Amino acid sequence: MNDIHTLAGAYVLDAVDDIERAAFARHLADCPSCAGEVAELLETAARLADGTWSVPPPRLRTDVLAQVSRTRQVRPGGGSGRDRRTAGSRWRTLSVAAVAAVVLAAGAGAVTWTVAQQRVRDERVATAAARAETERIRTVLAQPDLAVQRRGLSGGGRLTVFSSPGQDSGVALLADAPPIPADRAYQLWLMDGETARPANVLPAGVNGDTVVLTGVRGRSAVAVTVEPAGGSAQPSTSPLAIVPLT
Amino acid sequence: MTDPSGARRRPDHLVPVPTTGNTGRVDDADTLLPAVARGDEAAFTRLYDLVAPRVYGLVRRVLRDPAQAEEVAQEVLVEVWRTATRFDPERGSATGWVCTIAHRRAVDRVRSEQASADRQLRVAASAPTVTHHDDVEEQATRRLEQQQVRRCLGDLTDLQRESITLAYYGGHTYREVAELLGTGLPTVKTRMRDGLIRLRDCLGTAVAR
Repeated sequence: MNDIHTLAGAYVLDAVDDIERAAFARHLADCPSCAGEVAELLETAARLADGTWSVPPPRLRTDVLAQVSRTRQVRPGGGSGRDRRTAGSRWRTLSVAAVAAVVLAAGAGAVTWTVAQQRVRDERVATAAARAETERIRTVLAQPDLAVQRRGLSGGGRLTVFSSPGQDSGVALLADAPPIPADRAYQLWLMDGETARPANVLPAGVNGDTVVLTGVRGRSAVAVTVEPAGGSAQPSTSPLAIVPLT
Repeated sequence: MTDPSGARRRPDHLVPVPTTGNTGRVDDADTLLPAVARGDEAAFTRLYDLVAPRVYGLVRRVLRDPAQAEEVAQEVLVEVWRTATRFDPERGSATGWVCTIAHRRAVDRVRSEQASADRQLRVAASAPTVTHHDDVEEQATRRLEQQQVRRCLGDLTDLQRESITLAYYGGHTYREVAELLGTGLPTVKTRMRDGLIRLRDCLGTAVAR
């Protein structure tokens, strides 16, 4: 029995043959703790699909929806009970999955929001410069060497930095940062070890924005501080977040 | 084992993040799948839009053939509709469930194709391929996920990583993996299992930051 248990990894990765699969499934039915482990590892293995995302051809959608409309669903229950798990492991998996969902939802929301902000501003200002900025953001985001890092701000909100060393540029998204008075502004800094080089200054009183960073190559981090409107030459307050670039 | 006070409950601090005025995008697979199980075709359409790129991408990665991938992805997505009634949220996430079905189907196809020997052992444990996608929001989320998985894979030993990626992305059995890596069967089995456990802990802690 112990021997078959070592198959858990191969089973989860679908790297067993049919006979072994059946034998292992039988084993799981009698071993609640193994079932718990397998359920968790299945969830882990599914994360390996994260990097394989690929947009399918549009006709797949048409075909699937058409087939679904004439396919009867199976009745509830009667499924295999092989992945039953203990309360403890269930809790753990649930919480990990739930936290992941929340983190991702928060991130996606922030990006949508800041991009929407950008769009609103573009429409209002309607200048060629603003449109060019949007275009630059898109260009940076399309770089193959793009890396992403996200950190929370002390006091709330997030700073997300996309950086492309190849293009020597990046995009910073400040979202839901603490509100500031109209005579203050959020300012970004490109860190070179301990040295802070002034980067973008956000409009006064604004606590969320999307901006293009230049000169990121060789820099270690992006920091954000609150400064007098218009920005400072040196940080005058301590950083609310430091986002590493590598 | 069981808590005598019965206090072990689902954590209630994990409330959904308030959506800051942005429309849509509140759909997630975990809420859609139960609706699909009740025969809601509109919910299925939304679920399709959410998971189809993941399903298609994974199947294509394993099969390395867009035409076959499309066929298998269709089977998988119809299977999701057909068996949604069997999904049990207490056993894992909806996305995980869908990926498990997709991987199983892709691997089944690989195995049935193997006789025709048109696949070679060139399947590499390379970095995940990236498809260009126009949506900035998707891009950010996807890249964060990818980075995390890649980082966690990087923390494994070479043998753990290769055993897992050859099996998962390459669709190989552990016997084939052992042959490819020139290692014994027990070693490969063990590396797959302890590698996944390490991956689980890495992804878990990194997510809960």
